[in-house]
Amino acid sequence: MASRAWNGDPVNGMSLGEPARQVRLWPRFIVFALIIALVVATLGLRLFTLQVVSGGYYAGLARENRIRLQPVRAPRGLIFDRTGRQLVDNVATFAVKARPADMPLSQRPAVIERLATLLDISAADITEALDRAAANRFDLANVARGVPEEIALIIREEHLELPGVEVIVEPQREYPYGGLVAHILGFTGAVTPDDLARVGSLGYLHDDTVGKQGVEATFEEVLRGDYGVEQIEVDARGEAIRLLRTLQPAEPGNSLELSIDVDIQRDAETALRWAMDRIGLEQGVIMAMNPQTGEVLAMVSLPSYDNNLFARGISTADYQALLDAPGAPLRNHAIVDHVPPGSTYKLVAGAGGLQDGILTDRTILQTRAYLSIGSTKYWDWNRQGFGPLNIYDGFGRSSDTFFFQIAGELGIDRLAHWGSQFGFGQRTGIDLPGEVPGILPTNDWKMSLMNEPIYPGEVYQAGIGQGYNSFPPIQVLNAFAALANGGRLLKPQIVRRILGPNGEVVDEIEPQLIRQLPFDADVLRTMRRAARRVVTIRQTYNLVDLPIVVAGKTGTAEFGVRDAKGRLPYHSWFAGFVPKDPWKKDSDPNGVEAVSRTDSELAVLAFAYDSRTTGNAATEIVKYFLQLHYDLDVDLRQDWILERDNFYGQ
Amino acid sequence: MGTMRVQPARAGALGARPSSGTWSHFDLQLALYALALAVIGLLMAYTSSGGTPLEAGSIFTRGLMWLAIAIVMFTVAATIDYRWLKTLAWPVYLVNLGLLVLTLATGSGVGGVSRWVTIGPVQFQFSELAKILMAVVLANYLAGRQGQLKSLATTLGAFLLVLPALALVLVQPDLGTSLVFGAIVFGSLFLSGAGLRWLLLAAAGVLAMVPVAWAYILEDYQKRRLISFLDPSADPQNSGYQLIQSQIAVGSGGLFGKGLTNGSQTQLDYLPVSATDFVAATLAEELGFVGGVVLLLLFAMLLWRILVVGWRARDPFGSAFAAAIASMLLFQLMVNFGMVLGVMPVTGIPLPFVTHGGASLTSYAIGLGILQSVAMRQGRPDW
Repeated sequence: MASRAWNGDPVNGMSLGEPARQVRLWPRFIVFALIIALVVATLGLRLFTLQVVSGGYYAGLARENRIRLQPVRAPRGLIFDRTGRQLVDNVATFAVKARPADMPLSQRPAVIERLATLLDISAADITEALDRAAANRFDLANVARGVPEEIALIIREEHLELPGVEVIVEPQREYPYGGLVAHILGFTGAVTPDDLARVGSLGYLHDDTVGKQGVEATFEEVLRGDYGVEQIEVDARGEAIRLLRTLQPAEPGNSLELSIDVDIQRDAETALRWAMDRIGLEQGVIMAMNPQTGEVLAMVSLPSYDNNLFARGISTADYQALLDAPGAPLRNHAIVDHVPPGSTYKLVAGAGGLQDGILTDRTILQTRAYLSIGSTKYWDWNRQGFGPLNIYDGFGRSSDTFFFQIAGELGIDRLAHWGSQFGFGQRTGIDLPGEVPGILPTNDWKMSLMNEPIYPGEVYQAGIGQGYNSFPPIQVLNAFAALANGGRLLKPQIVRRILGPNGEVVDEIEPQLIRQLPFDADVLRTMRRAARRVVTIRQTYNLVDLPIVVAGKTGTAEFGVRDAKGRLPYHSWFAGFVPKDPWKKDSDPNGVEAVSRTDSELAVLAFAYDSRTTGNAATEIVKYFLQLHYDLDVDLRQDWILERDNFYGQ
Repeated sequence: MGTMRVQPARAGALGARPSSGTWSHFDLQLALYALALAVIGLLMAYTSSGGTPLEAGSIFTRGLMWLAIAIVMFTVAATIDYRWLKTLAWPVYLVNLGLLVLTLATGSGVGGVSRWVTIGPVQFQFSELAKILMAVVLANYLAGRQGQLKSLATTLGAFLLVLPALALVLVQPDLGTSLVFGAIVFGSLFLSGAGLRWLLLAAAGVLAMVPVAWAYILEDYQKRRLISFLDPSADPQNSGYQLIQSQIAVGSGGLFGKGLTNGSQTQLDYLPVSATDFVAATLAEELGFVGGVVLLLLFAMLLWRILVVGWRARDPFGSAFAAAIASMLLFQLMVNFGMVLGVMPVTGIPLPFVTHGGASLTSYAIGLGILQSVAMRQGRPDW
């Protein structure tokens, strides 16, 4: 066919053959035809190489392109109180996230400004969120969580003007009880590089949430569950087209059943808030515990905060406001503060003195207006002394000179020994973040810190819970719980049980004994009776008039610096317990038999920071709490006790 | 290659009759191969329509419309006696330059370029038509220089003739199309019998222009494309991305392809401009090596057929025009398919007949129509 064409077509050529011009040029036509053949052959060969020779390789690349492994978040476990009330909910919310790599630098300022306007957060917050994961520009960074639906829809609609910004539906923690249990539950928040360094091995995503405070943090591994993996098909913009298969399903997290009873928590909060409002206190603590198990029934630290703010993603301004707020609402004062225990610490000196034989329950010690060491006078709190007292009345009257003498006999190290037996100066190990160990002074401690020994006067101070002694309130409560249960120092438990996704019990958390206190049983019984004496001799005013038996110890702990009149501000304490059968019996009019038993199921502590009231504010708080808790139809609250009047230390 | 000419024996006998004689010389192969390529292009537009090919305004329905228009244009061009074009050559030339100036003045495009002129609802890329018009002008020029074809003046004249149009396209800027103009000049000069030494000299001149062009003429994005062609991984997210994704599309197609509308590279948008510049990658991915070879063979047969028409033309105009069209198609095939296969840099040169686009399809249809007109009118006794 080809040669026929070049030789001329007798039909088309009108039998004249091809024109001479063409005939002359035939080599050029051949060259051109060869070029065509060469181009087509080269392209065909290249096509063959790509498709047939390397087809498998490129098929793999195409698969890598379109198939992506995607983590599947596990539903986070829930949290219940001991009566089964749900304290947290997972709600679907809109989160605004951004992939910095997809946001052209030229458009970044405009995008940030638009987001700031829509989300009503500062541009600085957004910038910080974008820069937080600077090393992972291809990962999503959290910009805002809990975004209202209408705003989320606007952002979605404007996606062309907001490159790199994505709106994602994700579960968010909602805490229906808010501030009531905020310090216990804590909150979850966006994972930070620091968190990732800490828990990165658990497979966190860069836009993940993690428990930040409270049991949300300490039980993070339990609550989080196991993330799954699925294979999805994605298009060139990285958007998921369809689910191909689930390689590993997500395992929901387990739930927590707290030892907290929300009713008790609310009663405790009501009592504390009443007194604080009445006096104008900045902060206070009230706790209730079952001494038999160490279970914390209520733990209130005021002021509190709304943990929902954090779960939604708190703004820098709101966060700063909380940091600056009076009373440090973010701090759980029950466990993170060092405060002097004051006279509640006389439990240690009393029990230690009895155990070491410095005195018996029949020993009479002379109390005075003051004791002198050199030229320094160490005054009793009433500046008169109480005359001769036994341990019951010495504890009952809270005579300082009585306990100066015992402490002086014990010496600082022996005193510290008994203190540490009661758990002072060591973390209780409660499953909440931020617990401090406290300061329990000894000679070695002072030598290592200040290069001098404890002076005799400091031993006196230590004996009445002043001076260097400072502990978080939970240690005081735990010591009294051990007193109440007959000498078993237990780890305070905040979680009772771990529940599976369907509510089945996965793990029962047993009481954990820290130590059996090395006191004879009658020593502790004596101290319980002494604690009852505190109430019966009306050191606690009309607390004794309640129809239930209460034993405990007040404390007035000085701190800070003296005012113009030479007076120190002070905190008020009350730590005590109620026997299992709390009701007063005619057979036991003073409740002595009741407190001789070790069956108490309620230890309680109140701490009123910087109270400076006419009477002991903490006692009033506990009184009110007990009235509410036992639903008593008497109201013995006395307003005059709560008058501001810096009576002490004049 | 089998002969598909319609009744050749009788065609000769009837050649003396002017009215029916022209259509009896209709070169069916010329039309069929091009039609087959256009149908493949439609198929690709169908698969690139994102699941809604039959909706009004989809590239498939628009492609269908343009194909209909192209067939009309082809028929009209074939009907008109091409010799009229000789008379009209100079007006055509001026119209051509006018259209290109208009493009520069009012045109729009992506990223500061002027390529499309909007007329009513359609955008038209006049540089596509300009290639055909330039082939007409060039063929007319060469036909008029019989006897002096080997002279330097002829070669120089041809280049000077093309230069204004080439320059106007280059400043749009559209490097690819201006290179097509170059290919048209070289091809038509070569097959018309221009002096080989002058052609070689011109080729050397073009090569010498490369550094100059790099320094003064090429835009940054054009340079990036050229660099990323040499090393696609240098800029994998931008210009290198297209090359990489195109090769993945082609390679993953394998022997038989993934099936129409089943190409993941195409359907999930990894392959950019899958219906236009990279249409061959779509074809290779979904129809495989077999589909790619069919495409290449259709081009080979079409080009062959154009050469045959050129060879048979008694009129030097027809011969030169066939050479110009063949050069244009061959060059575009080489550059576009080469780009898809990763052996040519990224340029916006369409794959003739297959790439979705009204301007290019109708322009080639007009070109092919003129060629058909040439083929049909070689047997006339009053030649």
